[in-house]
Amino acid sequence: MSEGTFGNPEIVEVETDILIIGGGMAACGAAYEAKRWAGDDTKIIMVDKAAVDRSGAVAQGLSAINTYIGDNDPEDYVRMVHADLMGITRDDLVYDVGRHVDDSVELFEEWGLPVWKTKETEGVALKDGGKPVRSGRWQIMINGESYKPIVAEAAKKALGIENIHERVFIVKLLLDANENNRIAGAVGFSVRDHKLYVYKCNACLLVGGGAVNVFRPRSTGEGQGRTWYPVWNAGSTYAMAVEAGAEMTMMENRFVPARFKDGYGPVGAWFLLFKSKATNGFGEDYATTNAAMLKDFAPYDTAAVVPTCLRNHLMLKEMKEGRGPIFMDTPTAMKKLSESMTPQEVKHLEAEAWEDFLDMCIGQAAVWAGMNIRPEETVSELMPTEPYLLGSHSGCCGIWVSGPEDLNSPDDWKWGYNRMTTVQGLFTAGDGVGASGHKFSSGSHAEGRIAGKNMVRFVQDKKGYSPSFKADISAITDEIYKPVRNYIEHKDKTTAEDINPHYILPRMLQMRLQKLMDEYVAGVSTFYQTNKVMLDQGLHLLEMVKEDAEHMRAKDLHELLRAWENYHRVRTAEVHLRHIMFREETRYPGFFYRSDFPDLDEENWHCFVNSRMDPDSGEWAMMKKDWVGLVDHGH
Amino acid sequence: MPTFVHTDKCDGCKGGEVTACMYICPHDLMKLDTERMKAFNQEPDQCWECMCCVKACPRQAIEVRAYADFVPMGGAAIPLRTDTHIMWTIKFRDGEIKRFKFPVRTTPVGSIDPYKDKPPAGDINSQLLFTQANKQLPTI
Ligand SMILES: Cc1cc2nc3c(=O)[nH]c(=O)nc-3n(C[C@H](O)[C@H](O)[C@H](O)COP(=O)(O)OP(=O)(O)OC[C@H]3O[C@@H](n4cnc5c(N)ncnc54)[C@H](O)[C@@H]3O)c2cc1C
Ligand code: SF4
Ligand code: SF4
Repeated sequence: MSEGTFGNPEIVEVETDILIIGGGMAACGAAYEAKRWAGDDTKIIMVDKAAVDRSGAVAQGLSAINTYIGDNDPEDYVRMVHADLMGITRDDLVYDVGRHVDDSVELFEEWGLPVWKTKETEGVALKDGGKPVRSGRWQIMINGESYKPIVAEAAKKALGIENIHERVFIVKLLLDANENNRIAGAVGFSVRDHKLYVYKCNACLLVGGGAVNVFRPRSTGEGQGRTWYPVWNAGSTYAMAVEAGAEMTMMENRFVPARFKDGYGPVGAWFLLFKSKATNGFGEDYATTNAAMLKDFAPYDTAAVVPTCLRNHLMLKEMKEGRGPIFMDTPTAMKKLSESMTPQEVKHLEAEAWEDFLDMCIGQAAVWAGMNIRPEETVSELMPTEPYLLGSHSGCCGIWVSGPEDLNSPDDWKWGYNRMTTVQGLFTAGDGVGASGHKFSSGSHAEGRIAGKNMVRFVQDKKGYSPSFKADISAITDEIYKPVRNYIEHKDKTTAEDINPHYILPRMLQMRLQKLMDEYVAGVSTFYQTNKVMLDQGLHLLEMVKEDAEHMRAKDLHELLRAWENYHRVRTAEVHLRHIMFREETRYPGFFYRSDFPDLDEENWHCFVNSRMDPDSGEWAMMKKDWVGLVDHGH
Repeated sequence: MPTFVHTDKCDGCKGGEVTACMYICPHDLMKLDTERMKAFNQEPDQCWECMCCVKACPRQAIEVRAYADFVPMGGAAIPLRTDTHIMWTIKFRDGEIKRFKFPVRTTPVGSIDPYKDKPPAGDINSQLLFTQANKQLPTI
């Protein structure tokens, strides 16, 4: 094939046994584990839209590993996750992460990640009995600036650099022509040269992270890039799973973190490590004064740690009723601590506070520096962000997967290989797995490993399989490069190429999507409220956004990337909206409110909401699935 | 807080096909202007201020200027990263400077030998990861 040109790409066909889509925590875990089980005769390819060393949510670094079980009982971890996510999680999946996660953390340390230890066990590795410094029951502190390069190095070495394709954006999964409901490959394009990659595979791991910028961000100018969630994960995981006909679960769930205002820097260490308190604008501890309003959300109000959404719920009451702004009282916390500490220890503490930002949210440090905020002297504002969709942090939307076979779970939770979706051969992990949040970086890596091993098992069982595509590749190629043709064909028809009636800029399509999701689907401008009529109107507008997505333009490969990212955002928005519409109750106050169904309805809605879009007809089926507890949750 | 590139420091990574900043930016923002042989941020309002590019630039040519729509002028956070440590200079708007140094890695870069001294793959039908050979997994 001749060399490609813009819009006329060279088609590169790649055959592999296992295809990993994404290069984040779950992908790196999968690569490491799968290669060991696969041996040399099974080919594994990893494809990342960015550079694996600094891709995904951990690109910037992290200051804590949020899931390390240590001396805890994994059953307690299951209880915590269940309560935080308002009672609808898959105990089998959560327990499985809990019993495997420490193994990944110990590997990180062995590979070179600095993990903080208590004074008594300084220098002793976790696996040899070293005691981590905990900022909470499940969290441990690290010097995590290089967390991602370290984890990436192990994955790259395991797979071999020749098996890693960077800067390739996967657009679509490909189904098999002969076997119904079976994965056969994926297709994507290079953002660096004019090449379209067509992958044929036996098993595929879809781990492209969660979704950001589906909703209008609070910032309107340059600061739009400072979303809490990394601005580059565009919902590819959910969009591609939906289009392949995978059953989705809990896509109504979302995450609205309350963070330091504008910089969206982490508050966890301030609350947990420094014991700081949040107050309303008048210095009142609203968590105490408003405590009674949580009774409406029993039994989750009495959880060991108040669920994240309920904490937002308390804060939002103050904001809505005009008692803002919300402040984090850092000076009082620092002062209290200094009463029992030497000046040197206080200085150390101050460095730790700054490191918390510098390791994972540098922008927040710059906000403080630019505003002359010194935490020992000045309070800082808190603010809930715009909504994000994710499945590994304090959120649980994602894909419905088969769980481990050896637990006391119902049979229809273990129909196939562990972490396989309802599409044969399609696996997921990390942000991709629904109904099992709070995995965080370590749990996502461990879950990637579980999926990695099971993909090898799958491939070994299906040795004779030879994939053939149901879809016509040349039609798909045309579709993927259509934004380029839209541009080339029409760009000279007006004197300013950005304003042109024949096409829409990917950026404007994104803004249209964000505006409608914000205004109709419970974004920040309505204080996260919506109802059936608003959702109907939102869906109506969204359908037109979907139609217009075909008219996006791309003036270069970078804009082609943006076009397809936004396409994925639109699909993700659609499934989120449909799920919110289906669940007629308010289960996650503080994340969103159905104002037409303002109450928690345990009797009718303590169940999973699953959905499936038929890949042939495009028709949606929404369904309830029974929730079952596998450990005693006390209710 | 978008990145900007100092004209006098950037050498376009000496005409290499992909510059260090282009290679690393997770959001595909850094671009080489091939006429001037200087890099720039092609979509400043999409910058996550992760500083991956700042840390990777061999000439310390990239800095970040705080988001003009909500941060007052004059502050900055500037990293200098080696294979073992990162040094931060925090400049306040009122001129105060704070410096911090944190470790980033305890092993030499490139030294990971992923399967060294690790058990071989065991029973593929068990629930164990390969590093958990001989471990008794709890169940419910
Ligand atoms: C702001 C923030 C703070 C956090 N803080 C902590 C913390 O303190 N401690 C902790 O333990 N955890 C923390 N987490 C959680 C942790 O980062 C995630 O749980 C984890 O990274 C999820 O792993 P993943 O592999 O699912 O996704 P990611 O690690 O995000 O990886 C997604 C990958 O997919 C690639 N990709 C996306 N779309 C495509 C496509 N279409 N084609 C090809 N590649 C694609 C991306 O480039 C990336 O490599 C935090 C997360 C966030 C967002
Ligand atoms: S990495 Fe630095 S020197 Fe190289 S092109 Fe980018 S800004 Fe210029
Ligand atoms: S700071 Fe991060 S997002 Fe911004 S240009 Fe650099 S690498 Fe890209």
